[in-house]
Parts: sequence; structure tokens; C-alpha cells
Amino acid sequence: MCALAHKLEERGFSTVVIASVRVQAEKTRPPRALWTSAMLGRPVGEPNDPPFQLRTIRAALALLLRTDGPVILEDFPDDPPGWPDNPNWVAPTTTQSDDFNNELTALLPRWQAAQTRFGRTSVGLGFQAPSAWPAFADAVLAGSLPTIPQLPTTALAVRFMCDDIKALYGEAAQATGPAPSANQVDTWFWRQTAAGALLRNLRQTAMASENNALKTVGGRFFVPTPWIV
Amino acid sequence: MRHTDLCDTVLHMARPEDIPQPTRDTVLNLPCPAFDSTPFVSGPPLSERRVAILTSAALIKRGDQPFPFGSGEVRFIPAAIKPNDLLLSHVSINFDRAGWQRDINTVFPIDRLRDLAATGEIGGVADTHYTVMGSTDPAAMEEAVDQIAGQLKQERIDSVLLTPV
Repeated sequence: MCALAHKLEERGFSTVVIASVRVQAEKTRPPRALWTSAMLGRPVGEPNDPPFQLRTIRAALALLLRTDGPVILEDFPDDPPGWPDNPNWVAPTTTQSDDFNNELTALLPRWQAAQTRFGRTSVGLGFQAPSAWPAFADAVLAGSLPTIPQLPTTALAVRFMCDDIKALYGEAAQATGPAPSANQVDTWFWRQTAAGALLRNLRQTAMASENNALKTVGGRFFVPTPWIV
Repeated sequence: MRHTDLCDTVLHMARPEDIPQPTRDTVLNLPCPAFDSTPFVSGPPLSERRVAILTSAALIKRGDQPFPFGSGEVRFIPAAIKPNDLLLSHVSINFDRAGWQRDINTVFPIDRLRDLAATGEIGGVADTHYTVMGSTDPAAMEEAVDQIAGQLKQERIDSVLLTPV
């Protein structure tokens, strides 16, 4: 983002970057940047907190009026709320077994509730309905290389199915009641669900595959490093 | 180390002291693009500026192909797009998605820009916004930046808010 700010400014446009990793802004030196301590993935702040998001945006846009640059790198003073775990959050009930199909089916009503609550879903990268995921995953685990018409390789089909599984579970985890922290969603998914175990199994299968694309993609993009074991 | 490798190791934490070793040293020593000079374009008061968003979240319109890994392309996002038609296809799996799942404004603050336009704090919100794959080498994005600049000029947009993930 900092490099693109340089390039846009060279073409005559004023820019301001919200920077999540301060050291990158220090090195790349964009014309104007506001560093925030927001976690990666939430650069503007906490979800459904317009006042906090507005404070962040106002602070960033205010840098456009400064005349003492380049380079302007300011720190946003407030830590976003929402980092700590929420003791009032109740995790969805999961099967505690390795039956992904049954677990997924049981979570679908919560996923529907999440869509009603948030007015949307972030599931859809993989071009497959949730009902197709268990059989597709089983085929990969059995050593097949299934494909779908919309994506060119098995590797991409599995990768985006994994993204969709995580998205559906993440939304189900936030469907009702008080919001969990990001850490609570991750811990629940990777430690307490059959889906988390499935993704670890898919990673192992992919890494043992003779299909180089699946091996590479599976090793890097199915399971985040802390949750591999 | 490529940018994507950083994204694979930093996880959710953006404050250096929160990043465990040895990842912290990796982050602090990350090679970044260097520029001989820094341009600095001034403009009118915010109340006269129309603002566009450029996000590195690799957003796509539902039904479109996800961004390929390493793609230097840009995709245009109409301001009027429905939230349910936006998907996030960034390659990294090590940043938080739970916030995005609840509220697109954590990444793509279109409603907050509308709020500021409604109160007259900014002059307006662009009709078109922009998204790229953040893990890509910026040197591969010259054509994309030209495309963005062309559309900005066409819409008479003078200011861009850049958001990472």
C-alpha cells in the first residue's frame, strides 16, 4: 500500500495510507500514513463500531491537509476495542467427533442466522454450496483430484473450499449473542471442530500429493502456522 | 522475503512488541521498496475533496474469479455494490477475517466515507473504488496504477484512502 501511494502521488493524486505494520511505512516512506494498532485484517478498526471507524478515517484524512510533508507518519492514539476475549460469548455446539458432514449440517441454521444478522455472507469464493463440501473433501482425502468447472485446478478448488469452510464457521460463531474475539473464533475452529481437523487432514494429504500445485497450495494456504499441530 | 511471507508469519498482531520472536526480527528487517524521493500532492479543503478507496484485500464481486496468487491486476469496485456481492480473496490465511465477516467497513470503509460526505466533512465519495492483491510486488502493478489513475481522473477524484489487510 505504501508503494502504491508513491505511485499514485506521482500521477497527481493525494494519498493517505492506513498502515498496519509501522516498520513498513517507516521504510517505504509514503507521503502520508497513519499507523494504527488495529489487528491485521481490521485496518479501520472494530466491526460494527462506526464511531471508532470514523475516528480512524478522520485521523487519516486529516493528514491530507498537512503541509509539513513529505513524509508524514502519525500514530493513531487509540487501541481498538475488541481484542480481549469475551467471557460472555458462547461457542456453537460441535460434535466433538470427526464427522464434518453432521457438524456442518448442524451449524447451517446458525449460519443462516448470521446472514440475517449481518445482511450478507462472505462464503462463496469456491463456487460450491456447503452441501457439496463433505464429498469433495472426501474425494481429495481419498487421493483423487476432483475439479469444478469454475476453477482451473484441484489445488484452487480445495483452497477456496477451505476458505469458505472457515468463513461459514466464523459467521456461525458470531451469529447470536455477544461478539467473540478473533482469538476465540480461531481457537474454537481449530481446536474444537471437526472442520478444523478436516483442514489439517487436507493439508497433510495435499503435502503428500504428487500434484505439485496441490502440494504447494496445501502446505501454505489451508492451515495457519500456529494451528498446524 | 516476499511480502506474502510476512503475511504468513505476522498473524493478527500489528504492534511489534506483540509479535513473538523470531517473527519480530523478520518483520523489523523486512525489505521494502525504496524510493529516491517522495512526491507530495496538496489539494483543496476536505469538504471539497472526493475520496476513493484502494484496498489490498483482493476483493472480488461474487461470482468472479478470485485474484490469482501474485497477480498485479486491479479490479474496480462500484460504490453501489451490495455488501453481499463482495468477497475477500486475499491469499494470506494469517490475518483476521472475523471482523470482515461482520462488517465490510473494517476493510472497505465505504459507509464511513458516506457518513463523512453526508455531514459535509468531505466533498463526496467516488463512484468507483479499487482493490489489488496486497502480497504482490508493487513493481508488477505499474499498469494497474495507470488504470486507477485513469479512472480517478475521469471521475475527477483527487484523494485516495489506502487500506491494507
